[in-house]
Amino acid sequence: MNPADSDTARLGLPEPNVIVTTQVNGTSVTEQVPARLSAADFLRHRLGLTGTHVGCEQGVCGMCTVLVDGQAIKSCLMLAGQLDGCLVETVESLAAEGPLSPLQERFRDEHALQCGFCTPAFLMTTTALAASGRTWTRAELREELAGVLCRCTGYEFIVNAVEAHLAAGERNQPGD
Amino acid sequence: MSVGELARPAELGHAVLGTYLPRKEDDRLLRGAGQFTDDVDRARAAEMAVGRCPYPHARIAAIDASAAAALDGVLEIITGADVAARTGPIAIMRPVPGAPAIPHFALAQETATYEGQPVVSVAATSRHIAEDALELIDIEYEPLPHVSDVMAALAPGAPVIHPGTLESNLLVSNPQGRGDAAARMDEADVVVEGRFHLARVTGLPMETRAVLAEWRSGAGALTVHTSTQAPHLMRTQLADSLRIDEGDIRVVTLDVGGGFGLKLGAYPEDLLACLHAISLRRPVKFVEDRNEHFRATTHGRESVHDYRIAARSDGRILAMTDVYTNDLGGLNSPFGSSQLSTVVFNGPYKVEDGFVERRIVVTNKTPIGAYRGYGQPEVNFAYERLMDKLARRLGADPVELRAMNMVRPDEFPWVNPVGAVYDSGDYERCLRMAAEAVGWAEHRDAGHEPRPSDGRYRGIGFSCYVERTGYASAKFLAARGSRFGAHESVTIRANRSGSLDVYTGVSSIGQGSETIFAQMCAEFFGCDYDRIRVHTGDTGASPLNTGSFASRTVIAAAGALLDACARLRTKTLRIAAHMLGVADPGQLDVVGQVVQHTGDLTLMVPLSSVFERAILGQGLPDGELPGLDETSYFEPPEAAYSFGTAAAVALVDPESGEFELERFLMVHDCGTPLSPKLIDGQVRGGLAQGLGQALGEELVYDPETGQLVNGTMMDYFAPTACDLPPVDLMHTAVPSPFTPLGVRGAGEVGCIPVAAAIGNAICDALAPFGVEIDRLPITPERVWRAIRDSSRAST
Repeated sequence: MNPADSDTARLGLPEPNVIVTTQVNGTSVTEQVPARLSAADFLRHRLGLTGTHVGCEQGVCGMCTVLVDGQAIKSCLMLAGQLDGCLVETVESLAAEGPLSPLQERFRDEHALQCGFCTPAFLMTTTALAASGRTWTRAELREELAGVLCRCTGYEFIVNAVEAHLAAGERNQPGD
Repeated sequence: MSVGELARPAELGHAVLGTYLPRKEDDRLLRGAGQFTDDVDRARAAEMAVGRCPYPHARIAAIDASAAAALDGVLEIITGADVAARTGPIAIMRPVPGAPAIPHFALAQETATYEGQPVVSVAATSRHIAEDALELIDIEYEPLPHVSDVMAALAPGAPVIHPGTLESNLLVSNPQGRGDAAARMDEADVVVEGRFHLARVTGLPMETRAVLAEWRSGAGALTVHTSTQAPHLMRTQLADSLRIDEGDIRVVTLDVGGGFGLKLGAYPEDLLACLHAISLRRPVKFVEDRNEHFRATTHGRESVHDYRIAARSDGRILAMTDVYTNDLGGLNSPFGSSQLSTVVFNGPYKVEDGFVERRIVVTNKTPIGAYRGYGQPEVNFAYERLMDKLARRLGADPVELRAMNMVRPDEFPWVNPVGAVYDSGDYERCLRMAAEAVGWAEHRDAGHEPRPSDGRYRGIGFSCYVERTGYASAKFLAARGSRFGAHESVTIRANRSGSLDVYTGVSSIGQGSETIFAQMCAEFFGCDYDRIRVHTGDTGASPLNTGSFASRTVIAAAGALLDACARLRTKTLRIAAHMLGVADPGQLDVVGQVVQHTGDLTLMVPLSSVFERAILGQGLPDGELPGLDETSYFEPPEAAYSFGTAAAVALVDPESGEFELERFLMVHDCGTPLSPKLIDGQVRGGLAQGLGQALGEELVYDPETGQLVNGTMMDYFAPTACDLPPVDLMHTAVPSPFTPLGVRGAGEVGCIPVAAAIGNAICDALAPFGVEIDRLPITPERVWRAIRDSSRAST
C-alpha cells in the first residue's frame, strides 16, 4: 500500500465544521469543530476533560453522563455543536485541587468505586438528583441510577453512597 | 524465603492490615483525573480503524484499497500480507496442553474464521477519516461453509475450519483422572447424569480496549500505552511478534477500566498500532468501539458439560466424571480456552475416583479467552445442579448430602483426582451457616405448597464451591507449556521526605492493588500508610512480574513485599543506629515516621533524616553502600483454594415461569482478610457478573448466517442497579497454610456459585413438577418450557 501522507491536504477536506460557544465548568469556550464530533469527544479531546468517559457511543452504558443546563445527559448522543449556548458541568467541576466534595467522599468511604471508569457518570447523575431536591426510596434510587452501568461493584456500595449523600442533604460543592 | 518463615497475622504488630483505609486509587478517579489509555493524548497522533470480516468464515480473494489510499488524511493502510512480512504470529501464552498451534497474525491471511476478525487496518489523521477510508476499501470475500454450534462442529461432515492443521474441529482432548470411575459407576446404587449448556457471554468491561503506540525514530524505543492486565507479558508478546528486543519496548498501563480476564495478552490491534507507529514515525492511537468489542474482544464460558455422579444409597459419592466440550471460537487466543473446569471438577466434595475429559473445539465465532472464573463457574453449574438431582433421587436432604461428602477440616491437605492440592478450610461450616441464614430447615419441613396469596412456589437452592486462586508454582505452569511464571515482584525505594515508593508491574484494574500493596508495605516496614505511593503497570519502572489475573496478585505480592520490606528495614535500622550511636540496630524500630529505640523512647531520628543520608550517600557507617531501594521476588509454592456456599431463595410462578429472587446469600472464605471491605467489593462485583450470566447474559449467534445477533449494548443484558436481588455476604476466615499471611484470592469467586444456586432454587420450588434446569441463562421462558416439557413427559 502506498500511504497517502497528506497532512496539508487536510485543509482541503470536505469536512464541514461548526463553531461552538459554550460554558464548561464555569469557563467560556469557543471552538471550531467538525460537525460530526460528539459532545463527549469534544469535552475529552478538545478541552482535555478526560474524566468524562465513553463506553458504547449509543446511549446505553452512561459512561459519558454530564450535566447540560442542569440535566444529566449522555454526551455521546449529542454533537459538540449542540452544546452551543449551553452550560456544561463535568466531573472536573466537583473538586478541582481542594478537598473532595461530600459526594466524592461518600463514594470513597463506601468503597463505591473499583476501576473508576463509571464513577464520574454516577457522580454527575447523583449531582442532578441532589439538585432536584426530591426524595427517593432505595428502590426508586436504583431505578434512577440504572442509566449508568458498572461492571465492577455490583452497585450495592454505589447505592449506599448515593443514598447517604441524598439523605444528608449535602450540597455537592467542594470545601463544604 | 520459605512459607514457613513468613509472618502470620498474629505476629504483625500494626493495625494497618485487616482494616478498610481510603483507597490509594480513589482520589484521582473521583476527580476524573484517572489516566485510562484514551485519556493520554499525543500531539500529531494518528488514529487507527480496523476493517473486519463480516462473515463467520470466508476466503479473502482480493483487497483493493486504492480509493481509500487516495483519501485526504489517510496515512497508511496495512493488509494481511504486510503483517505477515513485518511480524510473527501472535504468541499463545497459555496453550491448551497438547494442542497443536494454530498460528494467527494480527490480520487474517487467506481466510478469516470469525465475524469481526481484523482484515485491514487504516491509520489516518482522525478516526472519522480512518473509518471513511474503511468504507472505500473493496474486499472481495468468498464465504465458506461455517459452523457456529460447538457440538455441531464435532459432527461428521462439519466444515473443518483449520484444515491445514487439524483433521476435524477437535483441537485437542485432555483426559485426566484417578482410580476407576467406570467401575464405581457400575457398582453404584444410583447414577445421576446431565448435559449442561453454558452460554457464551462477555465480561464487558466498561472501558473497551485501547492502545497508543509511540516510536522514537533512531532511538529504537517503542512505547505502548495499552489497557492490559499484564504489562510485562504484553511486552514479551510484542517483542516476539514484532521481532524487536524487549529492551526496546516499554509498556505503560496506568488506569484500566475493568479487565475480568479479557484484557490479557496482546490483541491484533496492539500490534497493528505499533506497526503503523513505526512506519509513520508518529504516535498512533486505537480505541475499540463497543460494536467492535462485542466481536473482537474474547468471549467466555461457552461449553457443554456431560456430568455424572455415582453414589451409594446412603448418599456417599463413589465417583464423579465430567466430559466437557469448550468452544474455542475461530482461533486460539493468547490465554485461550479456560482450563479450570478440570482442576476443580469435583468442587468441595471428597471423591477418590474421578475422570475428566476436556475437549476443545473450533467454531466460527469470536475466540474465547479468559473470563473471571476461567472454567470454575461452568463446572460448578454442572456438579451442583446434579447434587440436587441426586438428593431428589435418593430422597435425601440436599444440605446433608453435601455435608456428608465434603472434604473435612482434618483431611487437608487433600489431593483431588486430577492432582489439585486443596490447602485447608471448613467447607461444611460455610454450608451450615448459609442453610441457617436462609431458614433451610423451616423451608424443608414446610413441604412444597403454593403460597395462598399468589400461587407461587418458594424454593431454596445451594451451591458449594471451591475456587483455585493463584498458581501452584512455575513448575505447574511449565508442565502446561505456559509462557509465564507464578511470581510477583516489587521494588521499594525511599525518598528524602521519609516516604516510600513501591513499583509493581501489576496494573490497576479496579481490584485495589495500590491500596493493598501500600497496606502491606506499611504493616511490614512500620511506616505510615499515607506516606506510601504505589506505582503500577509501567514496565520501564517495575521489576519483571506476571500480572493481574488468576486471583493471584496478593498471594504472590505479599511474599515479595515481606522480603523487600524486611531488607529495607534492616538497612534503615543500621543507618539509624549509626546516627543515634546505638550499637545494636535490633534495639530500634520503625514507628510511623521515626526510628525509635525500643528501650529509651527519647532516642529517635526521623525516617526522613535516615533516608536522606542513605540517598546522599554521606555519613554512612563504614562499609554501608549508599541508596535505599530493594527489589524482591516471590513465587508461591502452591495454589490456595477459597471456598464457600451460596444460597438463593426464589419465588416461582408455575403458570408463567416468571420468578423472583427474594434473597441471595453467600458465605465466603478467602483466608486471612487483609481488607474486608475490598473483599466484599470483589465478591459483590463477581456476584453481579454471575447473576448476569445466570439470568440474562447470552451472546446469540444465528446458526444460519453465523452472525452475532445481539452484539450491542442495546441487545445484551448486563445488569443495572435495579436488576439485582438483595445480596447478603457472610465470611469465615480459615488461613491457608500455603501462602504468605494465610491469604487466598478473592477476585473471581463471586462468579462461580450463582447460576447453580439459582437453578437449584427454581428446581426446588418446582419440585412438584419435576423440573430440571440445565441451560444458562435461566429466563422465565426457559423455566416455562421446562415446566411444560416435564408435564408432557409425565402425561
